[in-house]
Amino acid sequence: MENVIELNNVTKSFKGFELKDLSISVKKGFVTGFIGGNGVGKSTTIKLIMNLLRPDSGEVSLFGMNYREHEKEIKQRIGFVFDNNILYENITLSEMKRIIKPAYKNWDDTIFQHYVNLFELPLKKQIKTFSKGMLMKASLTFALSHHAELIIMDEPTSGLDPIFRRELLDILHDIMQDGEKTIFFSTHITTDLDRIADYITFIHNGQHIFTKEHYKIEEDYAIVKGETNLLDRDTEREFIGIRRSNYGFEALTMNRQRTQNIFGNTVILEKPTLEDIMLYTKKGNDNYVESYS
Amino acid sequence: MLNLIRKDIVLQKNTLLILLPLLFLDSFLDGSRIYVGILFSIAIVMQSFATDEKPSVHYLMNSLPYTRKEIVSSKYAGACVFSFLVMLTILIGNLVVTKELVPWEQLLFIAGVVAVFISLAFPFSYLFKSQYLMIASIVLFVLYMIVVSKFIPDLNDRIREAVRTLLSLDHSLLYGGAVLSVILLYIFSWMLSVRIYSRKVF
Amino acid sequence: MHILISNSSKEPIYNQITEQIKGLVLSGELKAGDVLPSMRQLAKDLHISVITTKRAYEELEREGFIFSVVGKGSFVSEQNNEMILEQKRKAIEEQLLAAIQNSKEIGLELTELQELLTLLYKEDT
Repeated sequence: MENVIELNNVTKSFKGFELKDLSISVKKGFVTGFIGGNGVGKSTTIKLIMNLLRPDSGEVSLFGMNYREHEKEIKQRIGFVFDNNILYENITLSEMKRIIKPAYKNWDDTIFQHYVNLFELPLKKQIKTFSKGMLMKASLTFALSHHAELIIMDEPTSGLDPIFRRELLDILHDIMQDGEKTIFFSTHITTDLDRIADYITFIHNGQHIFTKEHYKIEEDYAIVKGETNLLDRDTEREFIGIRRSNYGFEALTMNRQRTQNIFGNTVILEKPTLEDIMLYTKKGNDNYVESYS
Repeated sequence: MLNLIRKDIVLQKNTLLILLPLLFLDSFLDGSRIYVGILFSIAIVMQSFATDEKPSVHYLMNSLPYTRKEIVSSKYAGACVFSFLVMLTILIGNLVVTKELVPWEQLLFIAGVVAVFISLAFPFSYLFKSQYLMIASIVLFVLYMIVVSKFIPDLNDRIREAVRTLLSLDHSLLYGGAVLSVILLYIFSWMLSVRIYSRKVF
Repeated sequence: MHILISNSSKEPIYNQITEQIKGLVLSGELKAGDVLPSMRQLAKDLHISVITTKRAYEELEREGFIFSVVGKGSFVSEQNNEMILEQKRKAIEEQLLAAIQNSKEIGLELTELQELLTLLYKEDT
């Protein structure tokens, strides 16, 4: 299967933060949800993909091309939405269109008008009077009006009401119908992903933890619940993170089958949510740091 | 590139609509055309520069299909367009009021000073922020005052004298040399800004 | 065609889809040659990811319930009678087992259960 985005061994370091040897690929024709806690490198990764940042080392390529030689061709094919407003505030939406439209070869006024009507956006009002939801809708309208093959969104649903979040997912489903488009978006509202994401890419502390088919996650991972006396040095190694209480333990395993074989009926295995996976991965990492520092 | 210049004009529409008529009215007063021209050109150019300085605008411009080189270059080309508009207004204003053309040396002088200013201000602003220009100018001014008061008391007179002689000269070689060096400075500044902006993290 | 997805079920979603489509085929509601909605359409309608419907269709294809024609979509295959009968018999067995389980719970004797079954069977025809 064709990859639209490829990051190969990308490293980028700032003061107090580092993306380490990151390799990610995003498949054509599918929706990839990009998850991870705050400050683990999601926005930095997206900036690297958009060429707003350049990697210290490693390769970033989109549609099989690199930014050094094909910056404009690549960006012609991308629609982008950022979590905070990047539109000029002191002009109206129709003036903003006059600025953005000439940048794209494939600009389509019919689509633009379609979304403006659908979202009930005022063309003649200054953008600074827009609510957070309207700003997001306006950005989305621009992202969708030039037949982009790849839609990149950084936290598009944060700060949106649940009704519009559902509408957005419907719109994204519509976009995906022809199988030619690819969506890559970061979020921390993981329930949105259950309804649309085909692949989940998870990063933690600047490192790629996994990219998996969405359904595969619940096949591999499981939440394990049992009595605390089942835990010892050996069995603890089965788990990514463990939470103990007076009533027993709860832990995350990434090898459901093996855990089942080891513990049999002495434990309960449950489907983990993406939030569980994020939480226990963080817990596991913190413990690791604690016990080795 | 042209899109980016057009964008700046769209964004500065209101500024232009206020400042250019004011400039036109100024022709009826007996002021210094040169000073006003320089001041207005710089004001509009820097206003346009400052509009695009927010991180959000950097994100927008760099996510659109433009290269960083184009983004910087459009600012240098746009500055010429804005200065041209200012000088055109002065020219027309003067034509209406005095029925005479403004001497081309004066226009050239305005263009030259504005170009030198931009050549210094743009790379500085790309490196830091245009807000700090004010501080930098004050620091320079203080230094200048110190130099004037401590070391060369008649510096002001000398400069005034120099400008006057420069303007009264009709030595085409001198003009040619001045124009050439300003253009070279402008190009050098442009290349420097492209370099600075390409490495900028926002 | 009705497909109901439960998010709280232990069954993976793609499994829920395959089971329900199989059910529709076995019950005759979907007939050989009937066209199925495209993977992407079904994903949209059920509010689930495309890869989930893709997996479901792949399983159905492997088990011979449907076949795909590139560019045209997925269709219900000609069903093997024997296989359908086998599947149905299995289903009946399961339902009877459930009935037996319930009977035992409330202390219903085998003879009583048989009587009930006979009664219901005759009533239906």
